[in-house]
Amino acid sequence: MDTSRSYLEPSSFSKKLAATIIIVYTVITLIPISWMVMTSFKNVNSAISYPPEVLFEPSLEGYVNLFTNRSRQSQEYLDSLPAPETWYEELVRSREMVITGPSKFLGRYSNSMIIGFGSTFASVFLGALAAYAFSRFRVPLKDDLLFFILSTRMFPPIAVAVPIFIMYRKLGLGDTHLGMIILYTVVNLSLAVWLLKGFMDEIPKEYEEAAMIDGYSRLQAFFKVVLPQAMTGIAATAIFCMIFSWNEYAFAVLLTQFNAQTAPPFIPTIIGEGGLDWPAIGAGTTLFLLPVMIFTIILRKHLLRGITFGAVRK
Amino acid sequence: MSVKKKFKGLSDKAVAWLFIGPSVFLLLAINIYPLIYAIRMSFTNFYANKIGREPQFVGLKNYIKVLNKEAIWEKMQVTANFMFWTLLLQALIGLGLALLLNRKFKGNELLTTLIVLPMMLSPAVVGVFWTYLYNPQVGLFNYVVNFFYDFGSFDMIGSSELAPWSIVIVDTWMWTPFTMLICLAGLRSVPNYLYEAAEVDRASKWQQFIYITLPSVLPFLLLALLFRGIENFKMFDMVVELTSGGPGSATELASINLKREAFEKWKTGYSSAFAVILFVTIFGFGNVYVKVMNKIKER
Repeated sequence: MDTSRSYLEPSSFSKKLAATIIIVYTVITLIPISWMVMTSFKNVNSAISYPPEVLFEPSLEGYVNLFTNRSRQSQEYLDSLPAPETWYEELVRSREMVITGPSKFLGRYSNSMIIGFGSTFASVFLGALAAYAFSRFRVPLKDDLLFFILSTRMFPPIAVAVPIFIMYRKLGLGDTHLGMIILYTVVNLSLAVWLLKGFMDEIPKEYEEAAMIDGYSRLQAFFKVVLPQAMTGIAATAIFCMIFSWNEYAFAVLLTQFNAQTAPPFIPTIIGEGGLDWPAIGAGTTLFLLPVMIFTIILRKHLLRGITFGAVRK
Repeated sequence: MSVKKKFKGLSDKAVAWLFIGPSVFLLLAINIYPLIYAIRMSFTNFYANKIGREPQFVGLKNYIKVLNKEAIWEKMQVTANFMFWTLLLQALIGLGLALLLNRKFKGNELLTTLIVLPMMLSPAVVGVFWTYLYNPQVGLFNYVVNFFYDFGSFDMIGSSELAPWSIVIVDTWMWTPFTMLICLAGLRSVPNYLYEAAEVDRASKWQQFIYITLPSVLPFLLLALLFRGIENFKMFDMVVELTSGGPGSATELASINLKREAFEKWKTGYSSAFAVILFVTIFGFGNVYVKVMNKIKER
């Protein structure tokens, strides 16, 4: 019998209706992402067929094109070459082309990795220190300082890009990994401080006080007691910082060119013969978005906190 | 032995400064110094690409130029339209989705995570891919729209009437989950006894929604819109890759125009003045908004 059901519980019909609408929305909202992934497994012709092909013969051409540079050759020249040694060479030959070398994608991708990990580590480390101090000590002008840290996030990146560009040129940091790591560290600092302060506020003071009575210094108590306690929060904050650095575009496109360029400014420049090479762009996009999607699923319990700088907790 | 220093090692005050110092220093060096630098340059006729030429002080000339330029007001109008429609749509759809998700049906955790995916992606890469979806010859978007109602051939990015909508659609697709998540938190914060009391008083479901649900969610929704407002006022990456401000200047938002003046025409003095004006605008509006928001919260 259903008599015990609270009258606050939505009726089963209204639940079903809500679920249906949400499922429809979810499907629609995921179509663009699925379409990118599907396109990455198409060949060039099926990517530009109309009506758009939902069922198609899968091909790795997009991925091959993403990782290689190719040039078109005459049939006689191709015939004169020894037989292709690998499956990807064969695929390229069948398009009357030869591989001339690796593309820049791998380099751009690893730049994204280096700059992402470097800046994430630095901002989480510095952020954890500052967050602890704000959480535990009476700091003069605490609220003003915290607001100042948050307000730096309001700057339009372009507004400070010119001065940073000039500064970096003078310091020799323009188009370097170190320069970008410092820049992203600073951009992420406000998020790291605000998020981690929230997490540290939740750790009872008594823990480190007990440790200090046992003879730990404040620093030892911080590193040996507080940091391990805050690990979940630190991991969530790190993922948010990583996602930001990974996705950042404005500074990357304005301040880097050859050496330290990350993937976001590079992906749009993948051009095939006669226009954009959509399967290759799809492949680059898929490889680029995959880590973020995995991270999002890991993060799901802390998402709300991260996107509101800790202002809203569950 | 003094009472204050009862533990070994550095004093708390020293630790506090040691811990906060590096962050504040970095923010001053990489954020505040460039901002002051930009303010200084905004009073000069400096060109960053002409090395060696001494910039001259020109007073308020750059500011007067920016404010008197009709094109700037057009960009501000484009930005305002973009902000109005994206915030409106994201508030309505986001709140609607949150209300539905709050019915706690089976699997809503999983669906929430899936819905949230678009907002975590790189806006620039999203912009690139939507140019493919919007392609007038082969795009999926055009195909789906024509499947439901045959408009014939249309070009979302190439036509100056549709282009502003093309960026509104992508931004709404990406960021509706943001308002949704925050509204959901608001809905979950409403204590159950309020509804129980309302039931006892025989308030209708509709009255409960108007007098209990909406006032509780409103502060959360306003917070979400503050974040989105600041982000969309600065909007650059997605739109650059999607329409690059075109066609003509139909989707040229303020920050795209700023980038052109600063990094293509290299009018550093002039663009710095523009940047300062933008910054003051965002800061001013932000402060007023927060004050209003706090008033509503207190009620």
